[in-house]
Amino acid sequence: MPVKVLVVDDSRFFRRRVSEMLSVDPTLEIIGEAADGQEAVEQALKLKPDVITMDIEMPVMDGISATRRILAVKYVPILMFSSLTNEGAQATFDALEAGAVDYLPKRFEEFSNDKRLAGQKLCEKLHSVARVQRHPRFSKTWENKNMPPASPGGVTTASRLVKRSLHQAHRTVAPPSTDEPRIRKGQTSMVAIGTSTGGPVALQKILTTLPADFAPPVLLIQHMPESFTGPFAQRLDNLCRITVKEARDGDEIKTGLALLAPGGQQMEVRRNGDRYFVHIYPAIAGQNYRPCIDITFKSVASNVTGKSLAIVLTGMGADGSEGAQVLKKMGAQIWVQDEATSVVNGMPASVIEAGAADYVYSIDDIAKYLAQKV
Amino acid sequence: MMSMEEDGELLQDFLIDAGEILEQLTQQIVDLEKSPGDKEIINAVFRGFHTIKGGASFLTLEPLVALCHRTEDVFNVLRNGERAVDSAIMDVVLPVLDVLKEQFTQLSSGLPMREADPWILDKLDELASPEGRKISRGGKPVAVKHNTQISNKKKKRNPVKPSSTDIPRELNGSESLVFTARDNTQPDLEVEEISNEEFDALLDQFQSVRQGVVYGQQHNGTEKPGAEQPGAEQPGNFPIDNKPIDNKPIDNKPFNSKPPGSQPAGDVIETGAAPGVSEEEDDIITEAEFDALLDAIQRSNSKSDLALSVNSINQKGKGHYKPTTADHPTVTDAAPPVNKTAAAASGSAASGSAASGKSRDTNQAETTVRVDTKRLDDIMNLVGELVLVRNRMISLESLLQHEELSKVVGNLDLVTADLQSAVMKTRMQPIKKVFGRFPRVVRDLARSLKKEVSLELQGEDTDLDKNLVEALADPLVHLVRNAVDHGIESPEEREANGKPRKGTVILTAEQEGDHILLTIEDDGKGMDADKIRRTAVQKGMMDEEAAARLDDKECYVLIFQPGFSTKEEISDVSGRGVGMDVVKTRIEQLNGSVSIDSRKGRGSKVIIKVPLTLAIMPTLMVMVDKQIFALPLASVNEIFHLDLTKTNVVDGQLVVMVRRKALPLFYLRHWLIKGAAATALPKEGHVVVVSMGVQRIGFVVDQLIGQEEVVIKPLGAILHGMKGLAGATITGDGRISLILDIPGLMHSYARRL
Repeated sequence: MPVKVLVVDDSRFFRRRVSEMLSVDPTLEIIGEAADGQEAVEQALKLKPDVITMDIEMPVMDGISATRRILAVKYVPILMFSSLTNEGAQATFDALEAGAVDYLPKRFEEFSNDKRLAGQKLCEKLHSVARVQRHPRFSKTWENKNMPPASPGGVTTASRLVKRSLHQAHRTVAPPSTDEPRIRKGQTSMVAIGTSTGGPVALQKILTTLPADFAPPVLLIQHMPESFTGPFAQRLDNLCRITVKEARDGDEIKTGLALLAPGGQQMEVRRNGDRYFVHIYPAIAGQNYRPCIDITFKSVASNVTGKSLAIVLTGMGADGSEGAQVLKKMGAQIWVQDEATSVVNGMPASVIEAGAADYVYSIDDIAKYLAQKV
Repeated sequence: MMSMEEDGELLQDFLIDAGEILEQLTQQIVDLEKSPGDKEIINAVFRGFHTIKGGASFLTLEPLVALCHRTEDVFNVLRNGERAVDSAIMDVVLPVLDVLKEQFTQLSSGLPMREADPWILDKLDELASPEGRKISRGGKPVAVKHNTQISNKKKKRNPVKPSSTDIPRELNGSESLVFTARDNTQPDLEVEEISNEEFDALLDQFQSVRQGVVYGQQHNGTEKPGAEQPGAEQPGNFPIDNKPIDNKPIDNKPFNSKPPGSQPAGDVIETGAAPGVSEEEDDIITEAEFDALLDAIQRSNSKSDLALSVNSINQKGKGHYKPTTADHPTVTDAAPPVNKTAAAASGSAASGSAASGKSRDTNQAETTVRVDTKRLDDIMNLVGELVLVRNRMISLESLLQHEELSKVVGNLDLVTADLQSAVMKTRMQPIKKVFGRFPRVVRDLARSLKKEVSLELQGEDTDLDKNLVEALADPLVHLVRNAVDHGIESPEEREANGKPRKGTVILTAEQEGDHILLTIEDDGKGMDADKIRRTAVQKGMMDEEAAARLDDKECYVLIFQPGFSTKEEISDVSGRGVGMDVVKTRIEQLNGSVSIDSRKGRGSKVIIKVPLTLAIMPTLMVMVDKQIFALPLASVNEIFHLDLTKTNVVDGQLVVMVRRKALPLFYLRHWLIKGAAATALPKEGHVVVVSMGVQRIGFVVDQLIGQEEVVIKPLGAILHGMKGLAGATITGDGRISLILDIPGLMHSYARRL
């Protein structure tokens, strides 16, 4: 059965382009179009699409409100179309926070020069978004997270899910633990967090719980387009007690500071005496991820003395897995986000698969342990 | 890669959409000037440019993107309330529309697109920054990197920070900024001592404060439970479970000015907006889901409250930097939130109800297809042929008197009539399409002539044939310009005459039977019949005596004569005397008529009558010497039987007295039948009274046949361009008849009239 798509955009021109792009893929079927948010809500509830593409700027009701309204009634995976501006970025983060799964730049040539290839990518993206039929935010598991852990009904699903993923990993490697991390407070020299799809919300969750005096410096690698990382860092900075900024070449890595790898570039750690700096350089052709988690992780492994902690959060693909293995060899501790709270479990699972994960936690536990134990 | 052809199609598609948006924008911008505070319009304009930009960037039409992007930025600033709509904005946004229009034309004709004038881009850049802040040319509006460079820790809601020595400070003088930004109630600090740079930085900071506050909502949510209990945190992130968080951000405002009216207002929105969603999904939504939905709605409301408070922070901020704008910052700033919230509430409620209406509209829009007008023309032609066949059938039927046949013919008649009107409807467009451009025309004109004019449009939804809509556009524009230029007096003059300063031009369209009536009415100085008479004499158009004989109404019609202009001073707007006769010709080409009514000192009214469609014309068939001619029914006033002995000759012209008025009389046979002049005239005959403008004349014909709807066929090469003939058609009995063009006929045969 084809994946049923609802296209929401106030521009007829754009709706047509999307239709055209999707028409090449027989496994995607457009079952409806909506020209504003209000209509989107109605159509979403009536037509029950498998996935929705959502514009942000629309008359009557904007895409973010529409996303909220739809998700308040019924979960549907939503792909946002964003303009790559400062406002567009902020709106996109709002939409992600409202529960949208992922986003794509509205200027197609920004993710591919070849229009046909762009269409292909859009189709792939839609498929992968449509597969997220259980957004952690809206699953029962997530809701029950707020209840005392004693409540058996709430955790069963989660633990079953965790167990299943453990079980899968079990064949080759030792399963990661779900116990409290064995880590000595104040002894971690650096924390590196890598994430992709679902990352903005997850990172916000973690970083906002960190106390102002959080000792280890933090490196953040979030797959994100170039024009988004600046606004994203700014947003986090406004929300967090520690300072968050988009990393620039030569920035010193220090306590109370989280550096976000800039989009379209790569970030490595350099050591000068006992001080650390970031080296930022443009991504070269052939590098799929810009920024790439593996690159940063590996540079941490080879340059940072002392214990470092690497965390791999929700995300599609397997970036971070190689880096985590190298880090683990160098004695770093590796945490990954569990399947139940990940929007997409690909990256954490690949780390577990590779046998590099020490602990697997829900997003709340990661935040809690990071704030309390590290 | 895409082929050129595909790209061309894309471009066409884009141009159609963008053209529509541009039309809307033109209207919206004029509306905006009337009500500069209307957020709805600002938002709509913002989206309009946004959408054009989106399409343009898809097609990588950089000049368009550059222009739309900047304009969008300007409107973003406007909708964030960081700048007010004023004439400076209008003066740059209107040229933007012109440039866009030009660029669209260049695109559609395959010409290279020209970049917008640098001054426009510069000006837009300047306006795209909140009031008072300058950006140098080339600087991308709202430079992201720049913002992040500035470490804006100090505006954070949470003062618990690592000691500031650890953080690199790129901003000098930040300490005083902290003070200013935090302590809002302080009256003006050492404002004079702030340098330009610092001022810019301050504004930067303020922008961040704004964002800080917005995000502060979530921040507070996470902060409250503290790092100790992460399990209990995050309520703020749930769209479903958010009640407790709703009011917090408001309470946390630096000034506790949460308006008491805001909560009830929120309820209004809730009840107002909810039904729109709920009613239609009754069968789908469970009660619990509905509750959740309500919560979600309320949440979005509370967010708008928050945004309002943010606005007032901004205002406060400005109060500091621009002491002149706020004499009593504390007093003036405390009040607005209440009003604004109320306004927002009613606004949202309105948009709620508008939403349900809108959704119906858009649903309808989705069932439409775009059809090339050429195809519609073809269908119309075919229907025309069908009408001819029907006419033949009817005349056959009356000949044969066959019962079965009459039934069938009766049916055919009915179906053809329905089909004809159905096809006509497909070609119908609201006159709004033409009217839509007038607000702009009037505005520009009034500004350049320093007059105050308000334009009222009535009956914008009146439908008429697409070709007519297009054909009427130019004449109407000319008449409207005339009304503003010649009709409406200057404000001073109006005041001196005891009129309101602001003149009014009313544009009306209505359907009257198978005609459309268009009127352009102004309350200006009206026309001076004596002056027109004098001018006519001066220009040698008639002698003094003839001029004196004209009644006022006939005088007014003189202005439609070529080369007639009474305006002493020729402005660049109108008054060159070329327009009005063109207007008249154009309207007559449409089988329409123009007339004028005017009262000196009170205003003028131009009345245009045009048929609903051009393809099929109701006519009166007459017989002249065994030949059938068709007279457009639109110009036929009345028919009477005449004793031809009762005619008189006045001033060399045959006339007959009809209701105590002399009616010029013409024998059509003299003009249309070869050698007819020599034959003796019959004792009595039928007179068809036709009107041309205000002039009425009578045609003597041999026989009246009746009314018939005819399809106009162009004349063949030999007759083409013959004066007095509008075309030909096939009559019900299969014969060919010529359709007369009355104005053309008069022009070429009747001397003087």
